[in-house]
Amino acid sequence: MKGLFKPKPRTPIDIVRQTRDLLIFFDRSTETRDSKRDEKQMVELCKNIRELKSILYGSSDSEPVSEACAQLTQEFFKEDTLRLLIKCIPKLNLEARKDATQVVANLQRQPVQSKLIASDYLEKNMDLMDVLIAGYENTDMALHYGAMLRECIRHQIVAKYVLNSPHMKKFFDYIQLPNFDIAADAAATFKELMTRHKSTVAEFLSKNYEWFFADYNSKLLESSNYITRRLAVKLLGDMLLDRSNSGVMTRYVSSRENLRILMNLLRESSKSIQIEAFHVFKLFAANQNKPPDIISIFVANKSKMLRLLDEFKIDKEDAQFEADKAQVMEEIAALEA
Amino acid sequence: MKTSMASNIVERVQYPLDSSSYKIIDEIGAGNSAVVYKAICIPINSIPVAIKSIDLDRSRPDLDDVRREAKTLSLLSHPNILKAHCSFTVDRRLWVVMPFMAGGSLQSIISHSFQNGLTEQSIAVILKDTLNALSYLHGQGHLHRDIKSGNILVDSNGLVKLADFGVSASIYESNNSVGACSSYSSSSSNSSSSLMFTDFAGTPYWMAPEVIHSHNGYSFKADIWSFGITALELAHGRPPLSHLPPSKSMMLNITKRFRFSDFDKYIYKGHSGGSNKFSKAFKDMVASCLNQDPAKRPSAEKLLKHSFFKNCKGPEFLVKNVLNGLPSVEKRYKEIKVTMGADSNGNDDDGDDDENSVVNVKQRRISGWNFNEDGLKLEPVFPKDPCREDHDVVKQVRFEEENAIQVEEDVASSGTVIDANLNASDEVDIDDVSGVVKNREATLATLSVLKGSLEQELGQVKFLMSLIGGNGEENHVAESEEKTVKEISKLRMELETERKKNLQLELQLENIKLHLISSTANSPTS
Repeated sequence: MKGLFKPKPRTPIDIVRQTRDLLIFFDRSTETRDSKRDEKQMVELCKNIRELKSILYGSSDSEPVSEACAQLTQEFFKEDTLRLLIKCIPKLNLEARKDATQVVANLQRQPVQSKLIASDYLEKNMDLMDVLIAGYENTDMALHYGAMLRECIRHQIVAKYVLNSPHMKKFFDYIQLPNFDIAADAAATFKELMTRHKSTVAEFLSKNYEWFFADYNSKLLESSNYITRRLAVKLLGDMLLDRSNSGVMTRYVSSRENLRILMNLLRESSKSIQIEAFHVFKLFAANQNKPPDIISIFVANKSKMLRLLDEFKIDKEDAQFEADKAQVMEEIAALEA
Repeated sequence: MKTSMASNIVERVQYPLDSSSYKIIDEIGAGNSAVVYKAICIPINSIPVAIKSIDLDRSRPDLDDVRREAKTLSLLSHPNILKAHCSFTVDRRLWVVMPFMAGGSLQSIISHSFQNGLTEQSIAVILKDTLNALSYLHGQGHLHRDIKSGNILVDSNGLVKLADFGVSASIYESNNSVGACSSYSSSSSNSSSSLMFTDFAGTPYWMAPEVIHSHNGYSFKADIWSFGITALELAHGRPPLSHLPPSKSMMLNITKRFRFSDFDKYIYKGHSGGSNKFSKAFKDMVASCLNQDPAKRPSAEKLLKHSFFKNCKGPEFLVKNVLNGLPSVEKRYKEIKVTMGADSNGNDDDGDDDENSVVNVKQRRISGWNFNEDGLKLEPVFPKDPCREDHDVVKQVRFEEENAIQVEEDVASSGTVIDANLNASDEVDIDDVSGVVKNREATLATLSVLKGSLEQELGQVKFLMSLIGGNGEENHVAESEEKTVKEISKLRMELETERKKNLQLELQLENIKLHLISSTANSPTS
């Protein structure tokens, strides 16, 4: 008999609509007025967000249904639900914030008729990226907004917007925030921005070469923070060794100042930094069109460099590394003033 | 009665993010790359805290693991989970500031005062709280992957907290290097849930394909197994099998039938006690966790409803019966240090010593138990090992560990542990064909990954070649080209060797299959 009184199951569309209504309610209510009614509505909202999550991800006993996911996604982006959700996240409790983050992350990858409509939505609402990026300045929001941001920049068009926005400069500071978890999250986002969409990155780097590498060198590679230097030198290697950035690489390894910085990193006492620095340093040596001032640095420091490299051993055997090292030493030894 | 939940979060105390605000009192634990201190936080009324100081320069090739752990810790919120107040770097070390748990870990408590195990009533309190934590964790999509008494801590009020998320994983954490897009949205044919463990990009070399494709219940059930072993650890004072010599046959015997009643016969042989002192409910609860079939193990949530946890006592019971009269964590740690030597396994608050090096792991903390190598034999959990869900494979790799280490060093340059798998399957008996099949898949996966990486390397070499060649003079080009050609042929040979090994394995497998078919064909008639 129980079945008789069972409410009709809500469709994904119903849930999105109800979520949106509740979000609008909380968006309008200026401050949490702590009334009983508000609290009840909040419980309802959190419940809805959780339901959205279980439709998208499935649960322990049900696989997500692609049809339901598509309906949900379509309804979600039909109106400004994403904006409302992002705005209201600070008002949610921790569990609902995490659920909302996962919902937003998942929606970025949901195809509707084999199109990622999230990308279309974001294209028209790029200012949301500004909100998400500013999240790094808010300890409570940083990890939620950061995770959403990383999902959004999977869309090339969004990554392009962020790369060319004034926010790009802020990442150099976010990476060094005192809260390790937040700084590490910002670093992960930065790395994603600088490596994911090859052509966009290459275009960005060649257009913004001057300020970008000036900041990169002074703020990151020469940072007083160990972890910043280590992440920065690793990422630098990844960027320069990427085929699509070969023009940028050629330019980078022709600069005397860059060589000086890399030589200093090569002399660090940290093995991890040394190894990563070597992978960039070798490019300076391998460059067959070394400018005269680079050659003169190599020549002036020849014996010191050769000694350093000779003593430079890594813990586990690495034939590739040894071969690289031998080649670099050969290059340096052959240089004459 | 309560303000809205959101305000709870905002109101939390912000711990200072500089080392000068803390004063270190004592060392209370140490591992390979981490030390745990008792300290006080001066600006916050000198409140006691535990600081885990992780050396970031050692062994961690990728800081992503550290980032994930920090993130996990900051986003989890449950009374039975030890969370971090904050974390920040101090030169090359990461300081994770956590609440100070005055009772220390249960491993330390047991080894100090309850060497023959705790009473069932105490065990029930501890396990119930641990299950609460696990149930929350699994609900959040996280696997702990290192459940053991050394990671269960008690504070002075008898409150139990699960700690150490160094090797935990989340099914929601997406990995950029993998096109994980589809694994979330599209349904794969043979799994019954999409909550798959897709965290696969980090170190996929020895991850078995069935782990990647396993559905949610499967992967979470690995924690339940470890939970069952932990129950035994608390009951007997040490994990099962800790007295046995490494013996393969014994190993296989026991793992086939792993029931509570067997423990006295095999697992705790030679030690007094006997299963009589434990209730039927307890034995039944443990047995359900240790089912060989992960699907048949209950979930954490379901376990909580088990009759063993009915009428469970509260934290004050632990204060009275376990913590009372116990020396401080600091004192106990010092004693261990003295008796076992400074660098042995006294990590009661658990230093983060789950490193990549198998050699290290072997000597320090092979598995969850901090015991000597005899103790590890049963333990299905390899720190860092992403395929711990699959006990068959793990076990086989395990008892060939000695060889694996040897060989691994030889192939260190390619950075894989492929030979661990190869070796393991070399040794498999005919009666364990299913294991071989799994192992073969694992090996194949490993090989294809290796092949991929070799090809990638080849591409890089070619690229460098064209780059250098493009700008260089004639003879330089010839020279570097020659080198590159050599490099390529070397890589090819490596690849060839791996292919041969693979072929051998496949042949072996065919043989075993034939053998099996003929023996099964014979048996009904005879």
